[in-house]
Amino acid sequence: MDDWYQFGQSVFIGLIFSFLLAKLISIVVSFREENLRIVHGDSVETESTPLQSEPKSIADDFGSSKAESSRVRADDSAILDKGNAASENTLPDEDDSDDDWEGVESTELDEAFNAATAFVAAAAADRLSQKVSNDVQLQLYGLYKIATEGPCSTPQPSALKMKARAKWQAWQKFGAMPTEEAMQKYIAIVTELYPTWVAGSIIRRKDGDRNDASSADTKGPMGPVFSSYAYEEESGNELKMDAIHAFAREGDVENLLKCIESGVPVNLKDSEGQTPLHWAVDRGHLNVTEFLVSRNADVNAKDNEGQTPLHYATVCEREAIAEFLVKQNAATDIKDNDGNSPSDICELNWPWMQHAASLPA
Amino acid sequence: MVDNNSSSNSPAENQNANPDGNLPSESGNTTIDALAHKVQESLSLSKRHKFWETQPVGQFKDLGDASLPEGPIEPPTPLSEVKQEPYNLPNLYEWVTCDMDSEETCNEVYNLLTNNYVEDDENMFRFNYSKEFLRWALCPPGYFRSWHIGVRVKSSKKLVAFITGVPAKIRARDTVVNMAEINFLCVHKKLRSKRLAPVMIKEVTRRVHLENIWQAAYTAGVILPTPVSTCQYWHRSLNPKKLIDVGFSRLGARMTMSRTIKLYKLPDSTVTPGFRKMELHDVPAVTRLLRNYLSQFIVAPDFDENDVEHWLLPKENVVDSYLVESPETHEINDFCSFYTLPSSILGNQNYSTLKAAYSYYNVSTKTPLLQLMNDALIVAKRNDYDVFNALDVMQNESFLKELKFGPGDGELHYYLYNYRINRVLRPSELGLVLL
Repeated sequence: MDDWYQFGQSVFIGLIFSFLLAKLISIVVSFREENLRIVHGDSVETESTPLQSEPKSIADDFGSSKAESSRVRADDSAILDKGNAASENTLPDEDDSDDDWEGVESTELDEAFNAATAFVAAAAADRLSQKVSNDVQLQLYGLYKIATEGPCSTPQPSALKMKARAKWQAWQKFGAMPTEEAMQKYIAIVTELYPTWVAGSIIRRKDGDRNDASSADTKGPMGPVFSSYAYEEESGNELKMDAIHAFAREGDVENLLKCIESGVPVNLKDSEGQTPLHWAVDRGHLNVTEFLVSRNADVNAKDNEGQTPLHYATVCEREAIAEFLVKQNAATDIKDNDGNSPSDICELNWPWMQHAASLPA
Repeated sequence: MVDNNSSSNSPAENQNANPDGNLPSESGNTTIDALAHKVQESLSLSKRHKFWETQPVGQFKDLGDASLPEGPIEPPTPLSEVKQEPYNLPNLYEWVTCDMDSEETCNEVYNLLTNNYVEDDENMFRFNYSKEFLRWALCPPGYFRSWHIGVRVKSSKKLVAFITGVPAKIRARDTVVNMAEINFLCVHKKLRSKRLAPVMIKEVTRRVHLENIWQAAYTAGVILPTPVSTCQYWHRSLNPKKLIDVGFSRLGARMTMSRTIKLYKLPDSTVTPGFRKMELHDVPAVTRLLRNYLSQFIVAPDFDENDVEHWLLPKENVVDSYLVESPETHEINDFCSFYTLPSSILGNQNYSTLKAAYSYYNVSTKTPLLQLMNDALIVAKRNDYDVFNALDVMQNESFLKELKFGPGDGELHYYLYNYRINRVLRPSELGLVLL
């Protein structure tokens, strides 16, 4: 018992501490960024990279994409710094043959590379992590650009912009290195710097799966939202029903049989006057309907609104059940409290319904 | 416990790998992982906002600060300083401009969106904008073809990503601003870890700037800095049995299908005398009516007759508009409209398509709005729509509950880019519907 108490206490203290730490880090980071913005205000062509001054959006923030915030206000980079629309589920695509995707679709390498860039971004944002030398930073920058944009094709920045020029050279010196090789090298360097980064990123991904990532994935970065009815707890419905009604509703023949054999009346009404047969018909269980009728359920039982199971079958357009009930001598001309019989409210072309109604009673 | 998931890595290793590496050990090894998560989470959050703090969008910290001027956050840049070349794509891909007049291109865009665009949280439905709808949505008066941006695989020429803008005049209080409405961002499911979306957004922004336009309007299901308004979707069942069967709505355990169907039953014909479909010759009258009506909202489109003709003249299976022409005076005093946006139903044996009507612009001056919208529901039901959806924008709230709309699980946030509105608007102050 004591152990648990201590354990709980340490978890609690831990949580508080981590919150404070996170707060501290975010303050430090934002402070540092403010400074950097001023310092680098003139290096207009500088694009931030994972190891550069500006912490980048972690891939996990926004689905799976990497946000690349341009420092250039004129570029306004992104209207929205967001990942991908919709979900990652892998429904087979109707229009694709596998060949089309050879070498194109996202691979494990892509995923690993994304995780690595995300990790580097996080590490760069974190003052507590070890310092990485400028050379390695530039190397990572170059590989990142090769992996994401391909060979360097932009003109060399002027010699005055030293930082931009160094970055340009870092990119340019990798020449036409293939994307995959660049990704692999990038991952190798990250692994050398932080031998355990993979573990960290796996934890984060798991965490993300459980929490916000799923909703962020499906909702998409921008555009419309698919909404459906919010699930509402039933309120204001005072209906009182028994187990036998619920079994009929759920199509549970086995328990229904037990109820009846234990002496529950087959025509027992709930507070709305509905019998088990009403419920079975309403939910469309033909087998339960047949079973109840075979147990002498009243096919013409009326609920509090004067409706019979055949009214229900008609309103719910359950053709097989309605036809079965009519064959079991359910009346098609019994009027409910509004004065409508099943044949009155039948909108579909069910000849046996009309025909039966016109027969002399 | 959290560390069950990560039994393969010892906490000691993690101390080096995670930002909490310097944590004092008193918090106990068992909770290191939990702490790592916490710190990572807060980092991600602060970082997400860090990005937005560099962008010309309203900032959370400025909320409620009435001293900041409303209007553009940054002045336009000289056009000569706008980047002239497209942004770099990963080298397997190339930019294309999509000509929506081309049947072939339109088909490709349609197929991309139909298989890869927005789904609900449970992946049961996916928007299925029709080709006619896409042409209508993307080619309004004065549209720019260069804003219909695709990404193809260089080798196979397969279209794998798409984003668009269309020009719109949007009034914010007394100022009419030329904006771009950004929409239809879609990346193929198989390329979701290729980081295409950010560069696509940058590229559409660049192309918007090249047309000397510096503001944009967009919506999203997620919260970013900072929504102009947050609206909610409401749904009105027209075909409750189908909606329940496909999982769009649920049947409560104490509710019968029979009673649910009766609850949503609608009469066969409309009740308002003079209620009829809008026609071409109605455009001037509808424009006057709409302009006058929309003037009461803080943010709303500034429609002229060309816009009204494009956006509101009925197009089969795209947009429907009805008006009330007084049988005596022949004046047009009321107007309602909805657009048609079906969705694919994923993995249902009996049904493949959900046909939904979305409330668009509605104006009532003589006919009560409630009655007008009830007639809209009747028309929609008659034309085999399964559900009628509406946001709580404009005066919609006044009829939603009474006409048996139920709240949806979807929130829609409206955003303006590079334009500040001093406070968050109530949905009823917003007169804008984006497709």
